[in-house]
Amino acid sequence: MAANKDVEKVDSAEEKPASPILIQMGIFAAILFVSSLISPLFPASFPVPTPVIGLVLLYILLASHIVKLRNVEKFGDFMISLIAFLFVPSGIQLAASLDILKTQGVQIVVVVLIATIVLLVVVAYTAALLIRIRKNVFHRNVDVDDDD
Amino acid sequence: MMILTATPHMAVWGKWLGDALGTNAAGASAGNALFGIFLSLVVYLFGQWLFKIGKGFFLFQPLFVGMVLGIFILYLMAKVFGTDTATFYKSAYLPGGNIIFWFLNPATIAFAIPLYRRNDVVKRFWLEIVLALIIGLVISLFIIYYAAKLFGLDKVGIASMLPQAATTAIAMPIATAIGGNAAVTAMACILNAVIIYALGDWLVKFFRINNDPIGAGLGLGTAGHTVGSAKALQLGSIQGSMASIAVVIISIVVDIVVPPFATMMGLR
Repeated sequence: MAANKDVEKVDSAEEKPASPILIQMGIFAAILFVSSLISPLFPASFPVPTPVIGLVLLYILLASHIVKLRNVEKFGDFMISLIAFLFVPSGIQLAASLDILKTQGVQIVVVVLIATIVLLVVVAYTAALLIRIRKNVFHRNVDVDDDD
Repeated sequence: MMILTATPHMAVWGKWLGDALGTNAAGASAGNALFGIFLSLVVYLFGQWLFKIGKGFFLFQPLFVGMVLGIFILYLMAKVFGTDTATFYKSAYLPGGNIIFWFLNPATIAFAIPLYRRNDVVKRFWLEIVLALIIGLVISLFIIYYAAKLFGLDKVGIASMLPQAATTAIAMPIATAIGGNAAVTAMACILNAVIIYALGDWLVKFFRINNDPIGAGLGLGTAGHTVGSAKALQLGSIQGSMASIAVVIISIVVDIVVPPFATMMGLR
């Protein structure tokens, strides 16, 4: 199966030593730079932020084996482990908009609470329905291997 | 301000502090970034410590504590320096905050790595994943839009609520593009995680979400971002991997779906 071949390739790639951290940072910097050149090409009515383009680019590069996991995963995993801390300034920037909280703060918190529950329930139910259609209409296997 | 300017001697200290923080006219141009970086680290590490000794009490999540405490400290310091919080934030905190904020770019790109690691699942279920996220998001957007309207949010408030399913770094520029307030969207994203951390187990049981492990994973990843995928991992590895896939794909789906939705609803 195609999926198994991929896993093997990933495994064999991991046996080779990881790229030096500066090379890994260089790959990230190159992807970011290219993404920042692509991002302004999208119209203002359909904004595509630089990190979205970078995410898709890195995924394509990984999936096409141009970039191997060992070239990027050390720096990438490190950045992901920091992600909660990196959001601190995004949270604190609310200090510049405290007046919107004074007038609409309670309502915003209530709407966020509703939105969170709605997103959870609606997405989960939609997915469950689609999976059931796949199983009952197309009779396709829906088991997932536990290989985490 | 009273303490710092009570005596001429103290006024010197006040000027010295103001220079360091970039709040004095002279220091403003210097834009000293160290205070912002230092404050971010201190409040986040304090949050981590509080979360540990509070045995994981839901309001003690490090990022939430960091946000509230950071804003509170800036508010107090603005009082001491006799300016308003927004001005003080811009001159003292923002230069350092921006440096940390910039690193969200490579960190967001890095989410391609866990996505690629689960490429076997992505390849088998890509149609269901993408369809579930698009359909689920569109239905949710309608409910969120009318809930926000019902509670009397203005146009800016409503537009700030719509992109919250995406990860913060992607939700903020979209919020700005559709006429929302990026700071409010960032707060919504942080609150999503706080709520899922606090109520996730109960919600999963109440709505019997775990009957379908793939749906449970996608729902938790969409609603609770990375905290949601940690919750999903507690339910099982299928849920965990689905949630981490959802965190990434929903951000791209939000980018595609939310701007036309905002246009359709006349928000811009």
